[in-house]
Amino acid sequence: MYAPHHILRFRDVTVRFGRNVALDHVSVDIPCGSATAILGPNGAGKTTLLRAILGWHMPGEGEILLGDSHPQHALPRLAYVPQRQTVDWDFPITVRGVVEQGRYPALGLWRRFGARDHAAVDAALTELELTDLADRPIRALSGGQQQRVFLARAVAQGADIFLLDEPFAGLDLVASEELAHLLRTWRAQGRTVVAALHDFALAEQTCNRGVLLATRVIASGVIADVLTPANIDRAFRTGRGGVSAADPLHGIRTTRFDA
Amino acid sequence: MNPLHEWFIAPFEYGFMQRGLLSALLLGLSGGMLGTVLVLRRLTLMGDALSHSLLPGLALAWWFFGSSPLALFAGALLAGLLTALGSALVSRLTRVKEDAAFAALFILFFAGGIALLGKLPTQINLSHILFGHVLGAGPGDVRRAAVVSALTLVALLVFRRRVLLETFDPVFHRATGGRGGIVHGAFLMLTVLNLVAALQTMGVVLALGLFILPAVTAYLWCENFLRMMLLSAAIAVGGALIGILMSFHAGLPSGAAIVLSLGTVFVASIFLSPHHGMLARLRRSPQLRHPAAHGPAKPHHHHHPHHE
Repeated sequence: MYAPHHILRFRDVTVRFGRNVALDHVSVDIPCGSATAILGPNGAGKTTLLRAILGWHMPGEGEILLGDSHPQHALPRLAYVPQRQTVDWDFPITVRGVVEQGRYPALGLWRRFGARDHAAVDAALTELELTDLADRPIRALSGGQQQRVFLARAVAQGADIFLLDEPFAGLDLVASEELAHLLRTWRAQGRTVVAALHDFALAEQTCNRGVLLATRVIASGVIADVLTPANIDRAFRTGRGGVSAADPLHGIRTTRFDA
Repeated sequence: MNPLHEWFIAPFEYGFMQRGLLSALLLGLSGGMLGTVLVLRRLTLMGDALSHSLLPGLALAWWFFGSSPLALFAGALLAGLLTALGSALVSRLTRVKEDAAFAALFILFFAGGIALLGKLPTQINLSHILFGHVLGAGPGDVRRAAVVSALTLVALLVFRRRVLLETFDPVFHRATGGRGGIVHGAFLMLTVLNLVAALQTMGVVLALGLFILPAVTAYLWCENFLRMMLLSAAIAVGGALIGILMSFHAGLPSGAAIVLSLGTVFVASIFLSPHHGMLARLRRSPQLRHPAAHGPAKPHHHHHPHHE
């Protein structure tokens, strides 16, 4: 019988910011090779969950196990892809320059950027089809290309787990379709991806597992089982009655334009 | 006598000119590089505030220890660190954001410094402190400039990868185990050190010009972080040399002369920069009037990269 290996395990994790509870007794297992969508309303703790994996926020209670060790001991195994809008895309640097940053954590202060590092960068550029753009300044990129540069930097890190923070934010239709295709390819290749997302349709297209958060875990598991109307209703219920997946604006003041 | 010799060599027969030049060159080298980070991290105004806030430290040091250069150095350093730490604290503990806290504290410090200098029984000349006084450059100034410059260059070299990560993408830096706060704090510290070391030739108000003007100028010409740093340092060194000569021949305060010569290069670059200058933008103006069918106009896409 096949028992999946859990590469990432949350055991009763609680993260507090002062008196605010950002994650409330979260227990989740992430199987190796899965693509997991972290879903939930704004302020549900999606980004906090990703950053807790990085050891950025220390859990007040509980623990996070990465493979067999704590995340802060195994940073090179994790690749974090921040939201695209957090950096200045007018920065004087080339595409290759950004992808090379993926090697910096492993190099530390003193080691030279060697043949292996160049090979990893070249492979990442090839995989994300950025080879032709490698020497171009990043200011000349489109939104979809910017996102691919960030993903290439993560690939160059040589990580086992990819943590993506809202990778579809601000992408146009074509660019999101490309990214969804890429994530499906990664899933087929067995790369472990944990992505904070807010679009259920994209989550179902790109991920096979889901975690529905509203500070605590509402549901987790196979994505189709997670995104049921009842679960969504519970996650998004904010004192204004229910929310249904089919008609999320029901009960909220809206204007209808009837033909 | 040969006019070239008279203009460029003869002034440096004076000891104070040699010392002023040497310290300005050393600090141009390190300050130009620091300025690159200040410009890219959008900290230029904070740096400006920081330099103004050094004044009360200088005044108090003068009061207690006389004209001892080391005491002045320590006093200014203390005032700068107090402003930096104070505004960090105010922004964390109250609703006030860090830029506003910085602005409020520096203006308070600056006024305190002016008041102290007005009241203290010293023969100190306010304009020398504010705008630089190359005549007063002593051997100690050169020594301090050399130490600070060397320290800055070594720190930037050793931590070059961290500096780049923290400047370009602090979130990624932190996610890969970097201590962003420490890098940022160390960087502010180096900035204060360089400002203080530059006081004698540049003055409190103008010292930052030696850091910022070369860096914004280099920003208009470079597409690469390292090259921008090197160009910025080169411009700072050149501007310091020309400025010191100008101050000698025209009888200007040395800080003002250096800032004016650096400013000339900056203003020229605003027009002439091949990708980011005004003339380049005017040349592309037809494209500005007819933006691409989808998305906002991005005038520098000559050849729009493939599919998207």
